[in-house]
Amino acid sequence: MTKSTPPITAHQLVRAFGDVRAVDGVDLEVAEGEIFGFLGPNGAGKSTTVRMLTTLLRPTDGTATVAGFDVVRQPARVRAAIGVALQDAAIDPLMTGRELLHLQATLYGIGRSAGRTRSEELLDRVGLTEAADRLVGGYSGGMRRRLDLALALMHEPAVLFLDEPTTGLDPMSRVNLWDEVRRLNTEQGTTVFLTTQYLEEADELAHRVAIIDGGRIVREGAPSTLKSQVGLPSLIVDVQIGREDAAREALAGVGEYRPARAGRVAIGLFEGAAGAAEAVRVLDAAGIAIEHMELTTPTLDDVFAEATGRRLEGAEEATP
Amino acid sequence: MTATVADGPRLHTGRQAAALGRRAVVRFARQPSSWVPATVFPLLLVAVNSSAMGGVANIPGVVPPGTTFLMFLLPAAIVQGVMFGGINGGSELATDIQGGFFDRLVASPVSRPAILVGRLAGAVAFGVVQAVFFQVVLWPFGADVVGGLPGRIVLVVVAGLLSLGLGSIAAGLAARTGQPEAVQGFFPLVFILLFLSSAFFPVQLMSGWYQRVAELNPLTWMVDGMRVQVLEGFSPGAAAVSIGVCLGICALGMLFATRQLQRRLAVAS
Repeated sequence: MTKSTPPITAHQLVRAFGDVRAVDGVDLEVAEGEIFGFLGPNGAGKSTTVRMLTTLLRPTDGTATVAGFDVVRQPARVRAAIGVALQDAAIDPLMTGRELLHLQATLYGIGRSAGRTRSEELLDRVGLTEAADRLVGGYSGGMRRRLDLALALMHEPAVLFLDEPTTGLDPMSRVNLWDEVRRLNTEQGTTVFLTTQYLEEADELAHRVAIIDGGRIVREGAPSTLKSQVGLPSLIVDVQIGREDAAREALAGVGEYRPARAGRVAIGLFEGAAGAAEAVRVLDAAGIAIEHMELTTPTLDDVFAEATGRRLEGAEEATP
Repeated sequence: MTATVADGPRLHTGRQAAALGRRAVVRFARQPSSWVPATVFPLLLVAVNSSAMGGVANIPGVVPPGTTFLMFLLPAAIVQGVMFGGINGGSELATDIQGGFFDRLVASPVSRPAILVGRLAGAVAFGVVQAVFFQVVLWPFGADVVGGLPGRIVLVVVAGLLSLGLGSIAAGLAARTGQPEAVQGFFPLVFILLFLSSAFFPVQLMSGWYQRVAELNPLTWMVDGMRVQVLEGFSPGAAAVSIGVCLGICALGMLFATRQLQRRLAVAS
């Protein structure tokens, strides 16, 4: 892969199953050393896109390159350059963690001695050294995912694909895996293509995200940029009933009016979150006591709702 | 970043196939449900048949003087055990497809033939072990092999080849359907073919269409070739017939398995 070729590119990528276009003209460009979040609901086309990029599924139309190699014309070169941890961690439950790592080393053409050394390094890295000789069938979900990650890292891939890596994990295991992905990215500069249906995961990990819905990318950019495009952060202030009008008047220069129930004032801060301090000052100067205050910023779910009219978290209709 | 992938996947086909073969054997050993029925049922069937039809041995011309009906049944036990094992070995490919391990392999630079060869290596290893096991276990009960060590080796070779043939047919079904249940459904058909052969009963005592079918059944030729080694002594000609039938099954099975695997892999890049 040359410096000038992005690790992952896709141009008008299409995959049809009969009359259904699961992926319908996806354009992507992932930069070197980037964690790229691919976000969307179930059935949006995330996994189909990953399967095409990892050579598991031939595109119906369009082109894609991974690590500088064409996924259709140079699939073997692509496979040798990527690490893949697929959905549901397809790990043989009748083998031990160490056996699977040794097998993985052989499959990637790594010599016996080097493979064993690398296996021990990876077991240590993902915290599975003690469990290495236990059958994987006895591992917890979090341990399986960590082993899956270790397997994907065996040959030090330039590009790592993680397909819904934390689905079904408890919060602690999820955070541990995020830490490991972050460490991998910062310490080794590995480019990571991460599909997820969890907004928080994309927000926590990804430098940039693409939101896919109905096989098409509907938004793409840095999470902070996408969120800022949706609207201003909201400040909600609870005041004494009857003081709402005075509070609104005082806050008029700090933010735009938003409707709220009795005893509450809501504004969209002109200066973003930094405007909250000024809001406190003007309310204090007007002699209005603050009973409760809450600052809310737009989420990626708001971005998704703005783009599709639906919420990603839950199936309810987006409210304006 | 420097990938430690060496000089290309094709050079490692042998190592990859051996590693996948090891995995197949280890998985087999760790699943008693795969090998206990394949070991116990043939022994039970031999015990029942030997008791129920042992008198058949007294009919002139069925078995040579000085031999027993248990010796007559030894090849049947081996073939039956191999059938269980070979089909189980093939259906493991369906388990890999269903469980996602197959995708893991396909997304790696593993050589495509190694996927099939590695999987079938487990079936062959089990077939060889079965052939040795039945000979050893039935020996104290009078199931000697008149052909001696060469005859015993023929039984082991036939068992290994038959495992490969049946395993590859089962692997082809696995590649086609991706469902272990569909592959297991193939077993009754093979079992019926075995019953329509000389495996459990001498052809000369059969009659009508049953005898005709048994005479034309290649499994009869294969079992009879094995039986010559057990009852009469080592015979290269009879061994060649048995091995030839197995090689025919292997050729058809490998062709079918390769085609079906290619078909499944065609959806990938």
